[in-house]
Amino acid sequence: MIRLKTKLALFNLLSKLAFTALFLLFLPVIIERINLRQVDNDLVQKREKTIGLISRYGIEPFINPDSSISFGSYNILKEEFISLEKTDIPDELNEIDISSRVLEDEEISYRVLNYTLFVDGQKYLLEIGRSLTSIQQAKGNISRILFIFIGLIILITFITDLQYTRLILVPLEKITKKLKEISSPSKFDLTPVKTNTIDFASLDSALRSLMDRIGEAFRKEKEITVDISHELLTPVSVLRSKLENILLRNDIDPEVAGKVEESLKTLHRLQSLVNSLLMIARIESHQYLREDTFSVRTLIEEIIEELKPLADDKEVALTGEFQQDLLYRDANRPLIFSMFYNIVNNAVKNTPSGGKINIKCFSAEKGLRVVISDTGKGMDDEQLANLFSRFKSKKGNDGNGAGIGLAIAKSIADFHNIEIQVKSAPGSGTAFSIDFPRNS
Amino acid sequence: MNVLIVEDERSLAKEIASFLKSENFLCDLAYTGREASEKIAVNLYDFILLDLGLPDYNGLDLIKEARKTGSEASFIIITARGAVEDKVKGLDLGADDYLAKPFALVELLSRINAVARRKFNITSQNVELGEFVMEIQSRRLTCKGNLVDLTKKEFDLLHYLVINRDKVLTRQQLYEHIWGNILDDQYDSNFIDVHIKNLRKKLNFHAPSPWLETIRGVGYKISGD
Repeated sequence: MIRLKTKLALFNLLSKLAFTALFLLFLPVIIERINLRQVDNDLVQKREKTIGLISRYGIEPFINPDSSISFGSYNILKEEFISLEKTDIPDELNEIDISSRVLEDEEISYRVLNYTLFVDGQKYLLEIGRSLTSIQQAKGNISRILFIFIGLIILITFITDLQYTRLILVPLEKITKKLKEISSPSKFDLTPVKTNTIDFASLDSALRSLMDRIGEAFRKEKEITVDISHELLTPVSVLRSKLENILLRNDIDPEVAGKVEESLKTLHRLQSLVNSLLMIARIESHQYLREDTFSVRTLIEEIIEELKPLADDKEVALTGEFQQDLLYRDANRPLIFSMFYNIVNNAVKNTPSGGKINIKCFSAEKGLRVVISDTGKGMDDEQLANLFSRFKSKKGNDGNGAGIGLAIAKSIADFHNIEIQVKSAPGSGTAFSIDFPRNS
Repeated sequence: MNVLIVEDERSLAKEIASFLKSENFLCDLAYTGREASEKIAVNLYDFILLDLGLPDYNGLDLIKEARKTGSEASFIIITARGAVEDKVKGLDLGADDYLAKPFALVELLSRINAVARRKFNITSQNVELGEFVMEIQSRRLTCKGNLVDLTKKEFDLLHYLVINRDKVLTRQQLYEHIWGNILDDQYDSNFIDVHIKNLRKKLNFHAPSPWLETIRGVGYKISGD
């Protein structure tokens, strides 16, 4: 994976390099072309000048028409030459080519203009040449300068590109950050991100409208939860008050009292069930706040204190082992308390007399791990698979509490990004392993 | 003391009223927000039990109104709308307590009494239980000058039975009072039995405690002398 701004900058750099390479590849040819044309124009001008001189002064000043000696003149540095000689070649020449001349043991390449002309019926060959050495040198120099110049330009534009892409991608980063920081739909940030890039603005507005709709759905779900809870709990409330009032009468027959209490118990099961389902619904729709900071160790010590009388009564040893503590931030303490309470209470219920329950807190790869292990009857794979489901009744449970406690524990754990794993086999006890996320 | 019960569920309002009357309260009923608003404006109440889920009124507005007109009534919110925000808002607006439906009538009574004690600055008197003395302020139980070593929960349990003296409390009522709502779902009748067993053991080590009675099939009570 690679960052967008790096990708853009790299693409820019590579395309520039490719174009430059192409340019540099053709550059010598182009320079040579341009130079040769320049030289050729020059040579043509010189030819015209020479022809002009010949037509004005005649051929004599250059060459004696009777003798066969030819005229030749080089300048001192042998950069240029001009020669005029009689010729019998039948063709009319007017061409420019490259040829080598050996002068004083030195071979020099010349651009040579060959031109035939008739003076007084005699055909002459005019040759005007210019050394190519200077052209070659100029070519090298220009290439070098261009090379350095282009290199510098590429470097500078690469850096500015990088800065610029970083700058224009700032809104994108802001949008990503905004999305990452959302922990629940109640914490949506609906303020628009500042940008003058249409694409980012439309992305941002699409996301905001999405968040708005999700938020709306959550609000509706919340309302439904509240409505259902009201509808279900009100009749329970009426019945309960009526039965309690009957129970409070002094003249009540003990047998009737027993029956009323049984009815109250049944009613309470209904109340418990509704409350449990509502609690799970509220946890899952994130209606609980996560604003507490607390020590996990202290909380577990409270759980032990809370459940010790029950364990003692059953003659089950309930112990805590604390190698590591965690100051847990941004959590809901009553919910975490409830989670541990449910798991440990479940262990107490399922461990026969003489057994042991140990709660061990230690540091694992991911952070704090709490392992609650018991010497109870254990569970088979089918029981394990249904352990956290809401309504699968668990074998051996007395039916009290509807067996929904572990489902609640699981939803609390999910709400806090806590991982729960269970290891168990029939006859060898059960171990709940609870992994806390690292504090951010 | 004067109590106004604002509750749209008539049969519930009547049950609450019947219970509070037996506890020597004067009760008035309002089934709608409008009715309640009129009654609050005219009468002086010590307590207003307010259901937030009124069909015609936002219950929280009633608190604001009452405060504006200078009513010094204490509000106890009773609601089945379990939303946390409602609770926080209600307490912010000056409600004195909050009870989630369904609640035990004895719990309602103990909340009213607690608010009354705070309001009128009543210090709790020590309570004699046979040869034991319960010092409510310092949360201690002594027997002939010796301290009976009770856990916090055991003391709370005993205290709740004491303030509801002569009433049979069911295990569920005791459990709810002491463990509150978050653990409501794990209500386990055995829990209370274990604590009462331990409590009796500690008491009987010092002196007999016949006043702590088990009412078979129903629950527990402390009988008065």
